[in-house]
Amino acid sequence: MMIKIEQEDNSLTKGLHQFFKRLLEMQEIDALFLPVRLKDSSSIMPSLVTDPAQIENAVPLSPAFPLNSGRMVSRLSYKESGRKTAVLLRSCEIRAFIELIKLKQGSRQELILIGIDCPKALTLSDYTAYMEKDPLEDDAYIQKVFSEKNETLNGFNFSSACNTCENPFPVNTDMNILLHGVDLSNGMMVESGSEAGQKILESLNMQQTSMPEKREEVVTQIKEVNSKANEAMIEDITEKTDSISKLNAFFDRCINCYNCRNMCPVCYCKECVFNTDVFYHQPVQYHQWAEKNGLVKLPTDTVFYHLTRLAHISHACVGCGQCSNACPSDINVFEVFKSVAQTTQVAFEYSPGIDENDPPPLSVFNEREFEDIVGIK
Amino acid sequence: MGTFEPVIVAFVCNWCTYTAADLAGTSRLSYPTNIRLIRVMCTGMVDPQYVIKAFLEGADGVLISGCHPGDCHYINGNYKARRRIKLLKEILPRFGIEKDRLRLTWIGASDGIEFAEIMTRLNDQIIEMGPSQTRLNKAI
Ligand code: SF4
Ligand code: SF4
Ligand code: SF4
Repeated sequence: MMIKIEQEDNSLTKGLHQFFKRLLEMQEIDALFLPVRLKDSSSIMPSLVTDPAQIENAVPLSPAFPLNSGRMVSRLSYKESGRKTAVLLRSCEIRAFIELIKLKQGSRQELILIGIDCPKALTLSDYTAYMEKDPLEDDAYIQKVFSEKNETLNGFNFSSACNTCENPFPVNTDMNILLHGVDLSNGMMVESGSEAGQKILESLNMQQTSMPEKREEVVTQIKEVNSKANEAMIEDITEKTDSISKLNAFFDRCINCYNCRNMCPVCYCKECVFNTDVFYHQPVQYHQWAEKNGLVKLPTDTVFYHLTRLAHISHACVGCGQCSNACPSDINVFEVFKSVAQTTQVAFEYSPGIDENDPPPLSVFNEREFEDIVGIK
Repeated sequence: MGTFEPVIVAFVCNWCTYTAADLAGTSRLSYPTNIRLIRVMCTGMVDPQYVIKAFLEGADGVLISGCHPGDCHYINGNYKARRRIKLLKEILPRFGIEKDRLRLTWIGASDGIEFAEIMTRLNDQIIEMGPSQTRLNKAI
């Protein structure tokens, strides 16, 4: 089923506010989770909203992407709350959350998942600069990003994760808000994706509509453009890191702050191995390393950390780019992870975040598989 | 030409391959001393980071060897190991550590002769490949 969200006062944002208000006023829905511009500040942060009056500060579509909210939704859902929450997420946030469900760190039970055509995001540093200069009004941003489809915004860079995203259209949700291929002067559309979603849309009693003809073509086109950008990015980063000495150089400024791990929505451990005593070496160990090689850079175990993290989570990487955003040393962690993720996901025929019944590849095995890698002839 | 003596780290399981190594020893079979055995209870406990660490500190080859399929003392540790080795064989070559430096075999407890033969073959093959780039460029 498909319904229409009209503009309100010539504004798409206000139209969305109306839609979310009606959702929140429904008996079945106790709270909404979506990006909100905080009071007395210009920061847009994901927030849990229970008061319909607060919806007018919501910014459902903006270039702000402070963190992958999949992780926050896991906090809201890992145990029952006795409340029903509708959550609005970008595609990579939904995929991350689905991965966390597989790890029993979240549940859809009390949620209505609402996906939205991704409005892209600026890199965190460019977002800060953009906000200082002369940011667009919320509506002007939507009009611009959905009509122009550029790789930059007024000279500021969209995250390379967004420019290379092959899945900006959410799947497996309860409903999706569509903007691409839709004549926005007429408003936006919401398509149901599940029975629960359909029921809610029905009870909203809003005007029904049908899939715009242009939609499929636009969706295909965006995927193609992003795919191409992705191939080029992977070729480039592979060339930059195709030996251990190049990899050493790539990560040479890494200070082992582990921000990239902390902000990665699929780095799932309660206690990461890198926080354990294993990496709290004896002083004599550093001396031995230095004596063997003439010098040892500290902190140690940086490339080791990244390779290990790749082994632990690259199969589940949803390509959200938050690892790069998190890095104080400005290392493009994302590109390395995405390039490896591509390989490991193909090897195990695994698409993270699509189907919650598809088990993570390292959690299962078959008795007869990969026999070609066994043996020394 | 100086001969190249590789360093090969072998993680062998307590129940099968280590027992085979022991048998090779008591049968007075010799195998290359370049291979450093590390006994683990099961190949299923070899975390990818052990393998990564060995390579980053300059190993020219890494072997994981356990019980034949169906013979694992812990029922399925070797199947899990196989997936992890598959994973590492996808990741490491991307950074220039060649696929064939990382090997997986099943050597049963009574296969002392086979153990010695396989170790010799492995050593020959790694010598053929030459030193690993991590010998010169350690990534500590
Ligand atoms: S590795 Fe980076 S891009 Fe991949 S899921 Fe984690 S934060 Fe996102
Ligand atoms: S790096 Fe590995 S051990 Fe650490 S949190 Fe991520 S998955 Fe867990
Ligand atoms: S965020 Fe940057 S500096 Fe911190 S551990 Fe990750 S790569 Fe290293």
